Amino acid sequence: MKVSYNWLKEYVKIDCGIDELAEKMTMAGIEVEAIETAKLIPDGIVVGEILERNQHPNADKLSVCKVFDGKDELQIVCGAPNCDAGKKVPLATIGTVFVDPESGKEFKIKKGKLRGEKSFGMLCSSDELGLDGDHSGLMELDAEHPAGTPLGEIFAGDTVFDVEITPNRPDWLSHWGVARDVSCLFSKAAEMPEFSVSIPASPENNDKLVTVEDRELCPRYTARIIRNVKIDESPEWLKERLLSIGLRPINNIVDITNFVLHELGQPLHAFDLDLLAENRIVVRRAAEKEKITLLDGTELELQNRHLVIADAEKPMCLAGVMGGLDSGVTDSTVNILLESAAFSTANIRATSRELGVSSDSSYRFERGIDWDMVETASDRAVSMILEMAGGKLVTDLADVQGQRPEPAPVSCGFENIRKLIGVEIENAEIVDIFSRLGLTVSEVTPEKCVVVPPQFRLDVQREADLAEEVARIHGLDQVPVLPVVGKNAASIADDSYLDYENLQNDLISLGLYQCLHYSMVNEDSALRDTRFNSDDLIKIDNPLSLDLACMRPSLFGEMLDTVERNVSRKNTTMRLFEMGSVFCGNSKLFPEERVEICMILSGQRRPERFSDELKETFDFYDIKGMVEALLERRDIVNYKFEKAVDGRFAPGQCAALLIDGKVAGHLGMLAPEFTKGLRTEFPIFAAQLEAENLLEGKTGNIYYKPVGQYPSTTRDVAFIADNSLEHQKVIDFIASARVKNLEKVEIFDIFYNKETLGVDKKSMAYTLTFRNPERTLTDKEVNGAFEKLRSRMAAQLDIELR
Amino acid sequence: MSNPIIEKIDAALVDAEQRLAAAASEAEIEKVRVDIFGRKGLFPALSKEMKNVAPEQRKDTGIAFNVAKQKFQKLLDAANERLNAGTAESDGEEIDLTLPGRRWKVGRKHPVTKIIDDAVAVFRRMGFIVASGPELETVYHNFDALNTPKDHPSRDPGDTFYFADGRLLRTQTSPVQIRVMESQEPPVRIVAPGRCFRRDTPDATHSMNFHQIEGLYIDEDVSLADLKSVLRAFAHEMFGPSVEVRLRPHFFPFTEPSVEYDFSCIMCEGKGCPVCKNSGWLEIAGAGMVDPNVLKNVGYDPEKWSGFAFGMGVERLAMLRYRISDIRWLYENDVRFLEQF
Repeated sequence: MKVSYNWLKEYVKIDCGIDELAEKMTMAGIEVEAIETAKLIPDGIVVGEILERNQHPNADKLSVCKVFDGKDELQIVCGAPNCDAGKKVPLATIGTVFVDPESGKEFKIKKGKLRGEKSFGMLCSSDELGLDGDHSGLMELDAEHPAGTPLGEIFAGDTVFDVEITPNRPDWLSHWGVARDVSCLFSKAAEMPEFSVSIPASPENNDKLVTVEDRELCPRYTARIIRNVKIDESPEWLKERLLSIGLRPINNIVDITNFVLHELGQPLHAFDLDLLAENRIVVRRAAEKEKITLLDGTELELQNRHLVIADAEKPMCLAGVMGGLDSGVTDSTVNILLESAAFSTANIRATSRELGVSSDSSYRFERGIDWDMVETASDRAVSMILEMAGGKLVTDLADVQGQRPEPAPVSCGFENIRKLIGVEIENAEIVDIFSRLGLTVSEVTPEKCVVVPPQFRLDVQREADLAEEVARIHGLDQVPVLPVVGKNAASIADDSYLDYENLQNDLISLGLYQCLHYSMVNEDSALRDTRFNSDDLIKIDNPLSLDLACMRPSLFGEMLDTVERNVSRKNTTMRLFEMGSVFCGNSKLFPEERVEICMILSGQRRPERFSDELKETFDFYDIKGMVEALLERRDIVNYKFEKAVDGRFAPGQCAALLIDGKVAGHLGMLAPEFTKGLRTEFPIFAAQLEAENLLEGKTGNIYYKPVGQYPSTTRDVAFIADNSLEHQKVIDFIASARVKNLEKVEIFDIFYNKETLGVDKKSMAYTLTFRNPERTLTDKEVNGAFEKLRSRMAAQLDIELR
Repeated sequence: MSNPIIEKIDAALVDAEQRLAAAASEAEIEKVRVDIFGRKGLFPALSKEMKNVAPEQRKDTGIAFNVAKQKFQKLLDAANERLNAGTAESDGEEIDLTLPGRRWKVGRKHPVTKIIDDAVAVFRRMGFIVASGPELETVYHNFDALNTPKDHPSRDPGDTFYFADGRLLRTQTSPVQIRVMESQEPPVRIVAPGRCFRRDTPDATHSMNFHQIEGLYIDEDVSLADLKSVLRAFAHEMFGPSVEVRLRPHFFPFTEPSVEYDFSCIMCEGKGCPVCKNSGWLEIAGAGMVDPNVLKNVGYDPEKWSGFAFGMGVERLAMLRYRISDIRWLYENDVRFLEQF
């Protein structure tokens, strides 16, 4: 909302600077978001009176004028068509400095000669002064200003505050309302201009003037008739007020209703009485499919839930929201009906939102207006109309009203207020703040008082609301800063983030960079994770676009997009992960919301190095190693990898991770369909893991195992086997053989050679380490155990020992 | 007189020396070792041949045998040493120390996570623990219980994402307050970082998917002064002790009194710049004393308990701290961006 500084000053004396006022308003809750200061008229420009106009002897389009500046008669050459004798116009005298607002360049008025004729100054258009108005010629000033008056005195230049009004304070939606609070801040009374409406001597009957069919949607409706008004332009001061807050002046009647809205916060509407069928108003719900065309040309088809202001036949206005095209005052209007009313806030809000129509009026009605202001604003407008447009008030106020809202008394414990806002403030000062705000205080005791808010402060209903008023007016800067003390701190064991934070740190310690994606994805992207069907997705009812219409069932789809984006930007080496919530609508698959991890690995293993090392690229064993390192970081021991078939991964390079025998994720090379067409030479590897399975506490404690003090002995076993023999099978076989004193088994060589080993054959070699915790093993016992194992392997695995 | 064993040993020595010189891996060296000392290697085989040696040659052959064993071992040790130490460097030869090292990649957190983790660490030190709640929420937890009027604009489908079953994507982390208070008795002291969603068209400063950090402290005699103190401590820990802070009156349905919380602009130190729109202040958090209606909704007695709540935007803090001009960068996941934090 725009608040004019000059306008505000009409109601409250302000004796501080603009910036200080803005600061005070902001700190009282009327947040000033921007301050616009109108351009000031340069010094040296005065009212000039043109005494004579003569044709320039050497130029058809120029005139040579004699201009009076209040002291002297000056000769000035002017090119404007309207520099007629007798007019008063702005005169830039010698020495006046103009500053170009765009470039900041200065331009000084000097004595000059134009086509041989001397010129001692410049006559100005409004454009040249940075003022609004007609730019085609000189700016014509009111004759009442004496020649020589500095123009800056006539156009003082206004400052306009752009303020944000919170929805709980509709009483601030007017200059008077803001002035009321500002007056409280400065402890100065706010004064409304004096006006009065005299009761017509022999009023016309107004019994039939207003019919309100729905009292709930329209709790109060008032109307008055003024006859024989003269529609005209508004006076300068009124136009200036409206222009200052960005409103376009239209005619005196419309301008007055707009002015009163912004002065007092009460929306008004002036009808052309003669256009109302039967010259009367019916406030009713619209008929189904009833049509109306609004002022702005919008054509609407209404429903029964919408309220209209109608005449005896047809809707004239969408009540409280906008007037109809034919409802308003025109140049030929003679008699007017002035509406001032109150409507249901909820209904106005719903109607405005549903139909997509809003206005300064609906903005105020949907927040709630002051019941008593309905009549005051009508009085104010009538007094202005009679003054500016003439005419005669011919009716008493037709006032159809229901129950006036009664503000309920609020009990206020002084100590409670102090405790809530943490400020030591005297009882008397609290009471004083309430009084300054216009709240009625009674039954004051040392402990408490009773406060009754005025009509315009229906938001004050509870003690906490009073605490806010005290905090606000006393000043939030007065709230002390205390040492932060913690009693009853909760146990870190109840902290729901610590586990995930640690897991995240472990992922980062693997050398991965963390990504974040939106939780909403498009369906195609979601279904790239082949574990899900369309029916498994949770879909948003009102997505912003179809591109973001369902909740991600997995991090996979978005991660692929990120891979594509990076590859297209030539970032082909990627070490990425994301950890975040994913959503599943099929409880047979997964719980509705759970946390998943997705890792991506592709590109060069050592991009920072050179020569042969540059050629090293990530392969399956790098991502597997990362997962293994993560498991080690999480103290998870009981896991294994199994060959798996999964649409996300390439058939030969896909493994399932099993923890405690349960699938906890998959990893492998991305399936060719996801990498086809990507401009990277590197294979891309991914892992998708269930965070739940990796959280601490799932893995139990670590218990110390004694470290063997006696030396170990190693033996090697090498054999030729079919390509299909998996390493894990060899390890499992040796483990199941329960070889005495065998500490560990490690593979140390594997090679393929079609000529020496045969097609589909490979050579594998393992080192076996033997150790006994209590003594040094003898060669004999080691050899015995080793030979036994060799023969079992030869017999039971399909291999040929070397 | 020729000795076939010594000849075989000499030949094997030459062969081993060549193989070991060329060996580029421990596996290759190990192969040589196995060929010589292994069960089917040179020495076991030669031992068997010993019985064929003439008695007068046996002693010399035995000595040669042992000498050879030592020579083989030396060759193996030398080869292993060469391999372990690298190449010429093992001799202490000068190398180009300025060549890039083999970097152990350490990875990096996303800037949003960094802010969350840092903030959480600050609040944990002040006695808060982290609580969490679902992103897919009920209308009750996201709006009703938080004293939001039935026709409040934020409930509008133009502003909030809904699902067919009537639930929604939480528009704020505040429903976590409700969930925590429903599940425990006071006192409560929690922070809740998390994702939130609003139906905003994305631009440089708006994202429909964003993060907030919620805070809630309920106890006897908690006041606005406690709120100010905690948020001031937070400001100083996150942005340094020179940051000034101020509370400004505002309105939220779930707090009364309500305030907005400003930090002095960290870009211009309060002098005025485009980031703070020349005001010298940055809006950081919405906060206030928990509205009595909210306390009633979770079954807490507002006569006995009071408390404060706050919520701040994580992306905004990240953008301020790292001077990121466009929020969309945070969700682009460009490797060159992610590597910077």
